[in-house]
Amino acid sequence: MKKKHTAAHITVTIIIIYLLIPLLATATYSLFDKWTGLLPEHFSLHNYVELFTEKEFMLSLGRTVIICIIPILLTILLVLLALFVVTIYFPRLEKYVQILCMIPYTIQGVILSVSILSLYAGSGTVLDNRMIMLVGAYCIIILPYIYQGIRNSMHAVNMPMLLEAAEMLGASKLYGFFKVIVPNIISGITVSSLLAVGIIFGDYVLIRNIAGTSFQNVQIYLFLEMKRSSTKASAVFVIIMLTTFLITALVLFIKSREAKGKMQKGKG
Amino acid sequence: MKNNRKYLYLLVLLPFLVVALLFEVIPLLMIIFNSFIPDAGGSFTLENYVTVFSKPLYKKAILNSIQISCVSSAIGIVIAFFGAKAAHESNGRFHTAFMTVLNMVSNFAGVPLAFAYMIMLGNSGVLLKLGKTIGLEALANYELYTTHGLTLIYVYFQIPLSTLLLIPAFEGIRREWQESSLLLGAGSFQFWTRVGVPVLLPSILGTISVLFANALAAYATAYALLMNNYALLPISISGMFVGDVTIRKGLGGALSVIMMLLMVIMILITNAITRKTQKGVRKA
Amino acid sequence: MSYIRFEHLYKSFGQNEVLKDINLEIEQGQLVTLLGPSGCGKSTLLRCLAGLEAVTAGKVYLDGADITNVNPKDRDVGMVFQQYSLFPNLNVAQNVAFGLKMKKVPKEETDRRVSEILRVVGLSDKAGQYPSQLSGGQPQRAALARAIVIQPKVLLLDEPLSAIDALLRRSLQIEIRKIQKDLGMTAIFVTHDQDEAMVMSDVIHLMHQGIIEQSANPTEMYTRPATKFAATFIGHYNILSAAEFGTLTGEKLDCQDVAFRPEAVEITLQPSQRENCYHWKGVIDDSLPHGNILRYAVRCGGTQVDVDVLFRTSMMFDHGQEIYMSIKKENCIQL
Repeated sequence: MKKKHTAAHITVTIIIIYLLIPLLATATYSLFDKWTGLLPEHFSLHNYVELFTEKEFMLSLGRTVIICIIPILLTILLVLLALFVVTIYFPRLEKYVQILCMIPYTIQGVILSVSILSLYAGSGTVLDNRMIMLVGAYCIIILPYIYQGIRNSMHAVNMPMLLEAAEMLGASKLYGFFKVIVPNIISGITVSSLLAVGIIFGDYVLIRNIAGTSFQNVQIYLFLEMKRSSTKASAVFVIIMLTTFLITALVLFIKSREAKGKMQKGKG
Repeated sequence: MKNNRKYLYLLVLLPFLVVALLFEVIPLLMIIFNSFIPDAGGSFTLENYVTVFSKPLYKKAILNSIQISCVSSAIGIVIAFFGAKAAHESNGRFHTAFMTVLNMVSNFAGVPLAFAYMIMLGNSGVLLKLGKTIGLEALANYELYTTHGLTLIYVYFQIPLSTLLLIPAFEGIRREWQESSLLLGAGSFQFWTRVGVPVLLPSILGTISVLFANALAAYATAYALLMNNYALLPISISGMFVGDVTIRKGLGGALSVIMMLLMVIMILITNAITRKTQKGVRKA
Repeated sequence: MSYIRFEHLYKSFGQNEVLKDINLEIEQGQLVTLLGPSGCGKSTLLRCLAGLEAVTAGKVYLDGADITNVNPKDRDVGMVFQQYSLFPNLNVAQNVAFGLKMKKVPKEETDRRVSEILRVVGLSDKAGQYPSQLSGGQPQRAALARAIVIQPKVLLLDEPLSAIDALLRRSLQIEIRKIQKDLGMTAIFVTHDQDEAMVMSDVIHLMHQGIIEQSANPTEMYTRPATKFAATFIGHYNILSAAEFGTLTGEKLDCQDVAFRPEAVEITLQPSQRENCYHWKGVIDDSLPHGNILRYAVRCGGTQVDVDVLFRTSMMFDHGQEIYMSIKKENCIQL
């Protein structure tokens, strides 16, 4: 038994090291002025100082935040409304909503971006606006995650019964849905939103194909910067990765807290 | 009267449907439709598909994509198998650390990943300099901007994804099986080849098709590393629609359809193998 | 006129007819049980009264008003569900107050009524706890409090105790019955457990395949089953066809089946001289202890009859032993 653990721990350690090397190497690279020999030399934070005083970079950060928030809020609202109507009034339509929500899993960023672009660019309609196209495309890309998150949590809280209970106590279906169900699935919604943030934050293909360089987010910024200065780009890299990790850590934290809550319930 | 009010609720569904139609259904249908319309104008033909399969550049893009997706998926699944097995057998801090790292780096792909590899293994990368210092020729002369280099990077992002997908499947391997196979005199290797892997096969195949799709559609990693200087499906497709050259909806549409078909074919193949082997398992 | 009335009620799910021409009247202040095996339509009937299912045909009256097409929230009906239906994000007091809030009851009155009802169900010290922190029968108590605090015209209980272990279940049965009596509430209790129905009800409506098989008080239901199904479902009746019964006793009865309870049969080693009885012989096949009762399986010609006797060491029979059996004529129910 003990031998088995040891072998497993060695494998685990090797994979962890393999996965961390690119991160650590690049992070180290960003913190030193010179790295030509075995060890880096001249520790300095000037890359970071430079970045955070640069208007262009701060703007790209701001754009990234905005382009994350809008599609996510929009998608949550759309899916909530759709699932409300479908689960309560038209259960037979649920299948079709599910199909619509799951298709984006298989068509990935490249095809989605060029199909939207080729359809609406130069069409002269309201949709011939790069920002609208981009928000729409992001809504579709994150749709499967938001949909599954919301639907799974609805199942977990046994939504039909809670709604009936609320109704028997004199609440309307709409009130029951938004005041009873939604507060109870809020952590599920949070987790799927964070996953969605991760996806949009890490996206390059949609924004590059649809918006080009006209809407410079951090990914585009990194792309352009790495052609100019690799030291400064490595600092951008570190900031992107730290943000990504923060998001993942939040997801893991919320999930583990939920699992703990469930275990408590199981004990009781 | 009650029914009329019920149908009023369909209006609430409308925003969702509008967004799904405008940005998902119609664009996809149109790109498929466009693939049958020649870029020079005209009516419904297979001309675009003929072009794709007769021009070496496009053939090369398809083949490169298939090759790099297959190789990176194959390496990825092997490492993931041992990774997930180790995760299943590890405990305590090692397990927690592993799960945390896997989750953290599962979002590490695209431009940042390509950049990190350029820092390490690019023409003046730190590992190359290290290779020179310690006199390791193979490392000192490593060429990242090749199919080999690209595959190396793809393998990196396949590992966390595939390991995370496989770990739940290992929960299905019961300790009792391993113990009873041990009591029957089978070694660990025999257990895994005769019981473990066959039981895990559906999950493994499912993971492979996810990996394949993931590699096939990866655009940012390849573009950040090689720009437009490499024939790869996603890069060729984007090139048809974006940029200074004239937009070729028909040809790009045909390439997109081919890419979608490749994913579908992969899913069909893995499903077929699953069905065939599962039938055998049940018979036995 | 009765307090609750179902009139020619039909309910189908697609092709499946779940309720067939239900006609039922329920008196005010009673606790009435809908008893039956799963799939008999008992829960559906309850949900039709709650308004959670639309009826296919027929009418539902509550307190003199036709409520067939009234929205559930406007029916003034309280309901306790099978599983926890407490809102997980609200604590016990907030859960109980929910219905009062919907009715826009003033804050002070809400607080007063909530603490009053929590005292009644014995959860005063749990007011601030969340559903996930409750244990044992506490969630059910809280759900009960939430349903009755709004003073509904009728309280509906849909197998509320089915997920609870036996011991706790018994004490909750008694407690619910007591609360119902004290508050003078009309209540309808759905269950598949005949013991539970016996303990709690004023009237039992036995349901089977979408119809009401028999309506009676517990004693009558137990001693006088009206149909073969009632005889099998309530207790452990021996059911013999009239022909089989005739062969054993020599008495030709003008009916389909004859049912009698295992404990109504007397076993003796000598022929019994009891009057007004049927007599026959049998051979002990098997015996099984059921707590303080010993159940003998007795072979009587081609049929088997179960006989219950009190577990007394002085009265034991061996396997294969020949015995005499007798039963009072009045205890044989002709179906």
